[in-house]
Amino acid sequence: MDEIRAALALARKDIRNVSRYRFVVASQIFTPLYQGVLPALLFGAAFAVGGRVVGLEKTIGTADLAGFIFLGGAMSGLVATAFWAMAMSFRNEMEAGTLEPTWLTPTSRETLVIGRALGGLFWFLLGQIVIFAIGILFFGLRFRPELFYATPAMLLAVLAMVGIAYLLAALVLVIKEANFFIDTTNFLFATASGVAFPVTLLPGVLQPVAFALPTTYAMDILRQQALGTRPLFDPALEYVALAVGTVVVYPLGLWAYRRADRRIRVRGSLNQY
Amino acid sequence: MNAAYLAGDLRALRAAGRKELRTIRRYPTSFVGMIFWPVMLPAVWVLMGQAYSGGGDPQALQAFADRAGTTGITVFVFVGYAMYMWLSSLLWGPGTALRQEQIRGSLEAVFLTPASRLVPLFGPPLTNVIWVFMNLLVTGIGVWLLFGIVLPLEGALYALGITLVGVPAMYAMGSLFGAGVLRFGEIGPAVQFVRGSLALLCGITFPIVMLPAWAQAAAAVMPPTYIVDGMRSALLKGATFADLAPVAGTLLVLAIAFGVLAVVVFRWLEAGARRSGMLGRY
Repeated sequence: MDEIRAALALARKDIRNVSRYRFVVASQIFTPLYQGVLPALLFGAAFAVGGRVVGLEKTIGTADLAGFIFLGGAMSGLVATAFWAMAMSFRNEMEAGTLEPTWLTPTSRETLVIGRALGGLFWFLLGQIVIFAIGILFFGLRFRPELFYATPAMLLAVLAMVGIAYLLAALVLVIKEANFFIDTTNFLFATASGVAFPVTLLPGVLQPVAFALPTTYAMDILRQQALGTRPLFDPALEYVALAVGTVVVYPLGLWAYRRADRRIRVRGSLNQY
Repeated sequence: MNAAYLAGDLRALRAAGRKELRTIRRYPTSFVGMIFWPVMLPAVWVLMGQAYSGGGDPQALQAFADRAGTTGITVFVFVGYAMYMWLSSLLWGPGTALRQEQIRGSLEAVFLTPASRLVPLFGPPLTNVIWVFMNLLVTGIGVWLLFGIVLPLEGALYALGITLVGVPAMYAMGSLFGAGVLRFGEIGPAVQFVRGSLALLCGITFPIVMLPAWAQAAAAVMPPTYIVDGMRSALLKGATFADLAPVAGTLLVLAIAFGVLAVVVFRWLEAGARRSGMLGRY
């Protein structure tokens, strides 16, 4: 119970911190819209024949360009939350000089990630609600009611991303100057998950990487249910792959995080940056 | 007397450029990013293009060609992203240089020197030009290694020429942003907003005919629109010197307009700062 309270307190602190900077909040919500979603929509629409994106239909089984892009944006946002809000925030605390005092509290170190996950997910959900509302109002965004059947897949994806966040937090604690690392791996992870295009278009050598990521299956299941796209594999098999991926990545991340915690305590490098 | 002042300011300008160059050298990891992003970002958009065109469906490609004037999606996107990278390095570098000095507490000290106030405004862009040419080189190599497209030599030289002609206009625009951001305060959101808006307006990833009329009108007064258009014409349509001359002329006019505007805004902010003592505040 104490750990839950600590996690909620951490989330409240993160939410309060971000909400103090209104331009940052607006930027977090609207940047994905005008830097990702809108250019992709206009680029895709440039291929439309008589208002219909026939090329996309040929590739994935639906011509619903807006749905394809907005759902990709949602998964991309979830990945970014794990990379930046959950993992990279340790670096921000390092720079602010507050990581050491946080480490000295009786709160479990694992809870520090969970708290950040809750805070990050709050902003992620708020951002997605606004972006989807704009999509529905201005870009003709419509989903099939079966969208909700993808809920278990999305919950598993969130759990998998917390595992990934543990792994990344471990790396951030060890390598410290992690901005470039987080930026590039976030981009590669999202791309390999198929947020921008179907992973079958990736070069052959990269496809095994894509199929090893739980988010690839969550993305595919979400698009199947919401838009009726052609699945990569049998949907039941995709659920199995997603569940197995989550079961593997969560303990793996936790193990790496605990190792990093031990390493920085043994070396006394927690306050170095 | 005026000539002596001018010579002193030119020396100060060179010193400001040298200082920026030394700062860049101190952070060698930023060079890795200069290779990674100009290649990986457009590569993803090329694959998006393959998804949207159904892997080269003739109807879809023709539709794109009708709007963009070319079916060469790969070069179209890579050229757009070369401009995006230029905008990034311009806005994060010289565009925020004054604000960075303000945050570090050194802006007041710089302003107390006898050098013209325009030196810190136009000094940082001098060295940023290095990134631009490195970026073009990386783009050319990336498009060849990843997609097997060898850029035509004549077209590449014309594209380089357009870039050179566009440098004053781009840096005048960056200086205008740099002066404005002093007043605005928060760098990150300002850079994201301006870069995102310019990327949307200037046809970085899609033909600007896709934009509504009012946005196309706004794009018509932005230097990146002309640079991207000129480079694409040179590389994809075999444009000649005569074809590109109007683009170059427009860029020179825009350089003067943005330069004058940057000086006016900077003078106005400086006068306000003297009255309110805001330079040391952030």
